[in-house]
Amino acid sequence: MIIFRSLKSKFAIGISCILILVFLAQAFINIRATEKKLIEGANRESFIFAQLAAKSFVDAYEFYYFSDFQKFREVVEDAKKLTPYISRVRLKGEAGKILFDTQDIEIKEGVGPVSLEQAVRAELSYDYKNKKKGRLSEITYSFFDESGSEQHSLIYSISYQAVERENLSAITRAFFLALLLLNLSIFLISFLTIRITKPLLELEQGTQIIAKGNLEHRLRIKTGDEIGRLAEEFNKMAEKLRVFIRALVESKSTLEKRIKERTRELEEEKNKTLAIVANLPDGVLVFDEKNNLTLMNSKAQEFFNVSLEKVRGKSLFQLSIFPGLKLLVNFFGEEIRKVFREDFVLTEQLAFKITTLPLMREEKGAGNLVILHDVSRERLVERMKTEFVALTAHQLRTPLSAIKWTIRMLLDGDLGRITKNQKEFLEKTYKSNEKMIALINDLLNVTRIEEGRYIYKPILADFLEIVHEVVRSSKGAMQRRGISFKINLPKEKLPEVFVDKEKIKLVIENLLDNAIKYTKPNGKVALSVKNSIKELEFDVQDTGVGIPKDQQERVFTKFFRGANVMRLETEGYGLGLFISKNIIEAHGGKIWFESQEGNGAKFSFVLPINNKNQSKKA
Amino acid sequence: MAKKVLIVEDEEIIVDLLQKKLKNEGYDALVARDGDEGLKVMRKSNPDLILLDILMPKMSGLEVMAEMQKDERLKKIPIIVISNSGQPVEIDKAQRFGAKDWLVKAEFDPQEVIDKIEKQIGK
Repeated sequence: MIIFRSLKSKFAIGISCILILVFLAQAFINIRATEKKLIEGANRESFIFAQLAAKSFVDAYEFYYFSDFQKFREVVEDAKKLTPYISRVRLKGEAGKILFDTQDIEIKEGVGPVSLEQAVRAELSYDYKNKKKGRLSEITYSFFDESGSEQHSLIYSISYQAVERENLSAITRAFFLALLLLNLSIFLISFLTIRITKPLLELEQGTQIIAKGNLEHRLRIKTGDEIGRLAEEFNKMAEKLRVFIRALVESKSTLEKRIKERTRELEEEKNKTLAIVANLPDGVLVFDEKNNLTLMNSKAQEFFNVSLEKVRGKSLFQLSIFPGLKLLVNFFGEEIRKVFREDFVLTEQLAFKITTLPLMREEKGAGNLVILHDVSRERLVERMKTEFVALTAHQLRTPLSAIKWTIRMLLDGDLGRITKNQKEFLEKTYKSNEKMIALINDLLNVTRIEEGRYIYKPILADFLEIVHEVVRSSKGAMQRRGISFKINLPKEKLPEVFVDKEKIKLVIENLLDNAIKYTKPNGKVALSVKNSIKELEFDVQDTGVGIPKDQQERVFTKFFRGANVMRLETEGYGLGLFISKNIIEAHGGKIWFESQEGNGAKFSFVLPINNKNQSKKA
Repeated sequence: MAKKVLIVEDEEIIVDLLQKKLKNEGYDALVARDGDEGLKVMRKSNPDLILLDILMPKMSGLEVMAEMQKDERLKKIPIIVISNSGQPVEIDKAQRFGAKDWLVKAEFDPQEVIDKIEKQIGK
């Protein structure tokens, strides 16, 4: 039985055994003491009986021994029954002759009558059968005559059978009691083992099973005590644990599934992103925060004629050994700076708009993205367009010139006399032709500006002379429109300015023409020139239609024409101010305007008075 | 005796107009339709002034001037260049080749031509 293997059980059994042994020892000691007392009692009783019964026996002997022996015998037997300790009574006569024995039924033949009454004294003597235990074997009651010699004696044989019986029963009782105790203790242990240890064992085994992971296992302990409650709590805990672990397992698998899915999604996303980046028509270069190249898509590799393997991880400085990338490194210098749609020309055939974007990771700079947008085609188209316009304009000039000269010669009479009517028509034709030539020239100027071929030939010039020249040629137009003109010039002579006379003349013409053109008849145009040491300022103010607020931003862009102006005057291509701005800025000056729609406009420009240029000229 | 002006120009209308104008002004106008012909004519007729177009077939005005520079006699003849573009580059180049003055095709009128010729060789 497993239950007895536990130390506690062994201990309990051991203790029980010791207790039983102690009990048995105690019992034996008690039995011995009792035996002694019983023997003493038996002895005392025997002595008393021996003394008391002697008289009766003597009397009975006198009366019945000879006459009615049977009667005598009965008397002795009856007396003997008074005590359990006297087993045999004998009467001894003279010379040791046995006169009576309770064991002999026959009368002793030849035994003469004896008178015990003649006995002078009686004496009690005893003999021990077993001295140690204080057991008597015989008690002798002797009768002595006058001479002092023993006549008769009554010999009582003592029997301790009663004591022995008593003893035996006491021992038996003790043994039985001990056995009972033993049984009781085994029963108790078994009981305790069953009631306490077994549930505990079950608890232990159950918890082990549960601990091994079998959360379906339940403890079946219904003792109702602390262990039972413990088991219940344990079951509850196991159940909760089971539910929890199942939820955990489920959530773990769900989580794993989701992680897998998410990872796959991210992977796909990443692949997608990479594919997008790789297949972008734009060149993409990724630099880390230390300006080392980390990525270059295929387009960029194609542009720079390098493979990513060769350049990955290299710094800007290291990249400059690659011929293609050298230009890019030169463009940036020491680090990738912020750039938005700047021009970057790699070769004659490859031009880009370059843009950098800072890469942010958790609000920290993680390098830069460099995007090269290929504008080669656009540039080519732009150039073709410009060339086309230039060529067309150019090709138009010769026939226009021919028309101009023909009309001129007709008007001058070089080709014979013409009527007044013919002359008027020819003059109108001449003006229209002039306008067309002006437009063609404007277009050519624009294309030259765009091609960067608008070359200036600055010389030292008297600015006011240019102004006067323009004003002179505009007077007629102003008079025709009934415009009152005011001019305000500095009293002192202006220092000469270093300008391209023709171009500055063009600007002043443009501004004055606009002022006149967009001012209604009877309006006012005022022109003023003032100067400081460093620069001179030219203003033209009109009382014309003005420029709508929402269009003011675009005034200096090419082909711009105010919406209100379009209704008023259909002529013009919106090139004058674009050209003027370019001319003034090429001279290091600034051009601007102030205007309110319907309330006129004031256009101004400043030109630097540069002493250095003057000295250079000198 | 009327002064001889050689017009080297491929554009017919311009040639016609210039010829008419020059004749009206009392000049003797000679005409060549390209650079090659121009050189032949100037060698033969020894003109007092040459109106030289730059953009021409066969031989450009600049080439004609370069050729003239090699000839002691021809390089003394004043040249007024007729520039198509009026671009400073073109004019600079022409001046380096010995052009005395220039006209920009779309901008000048016949009177301006006469003024410039008179300025060089007189009436």
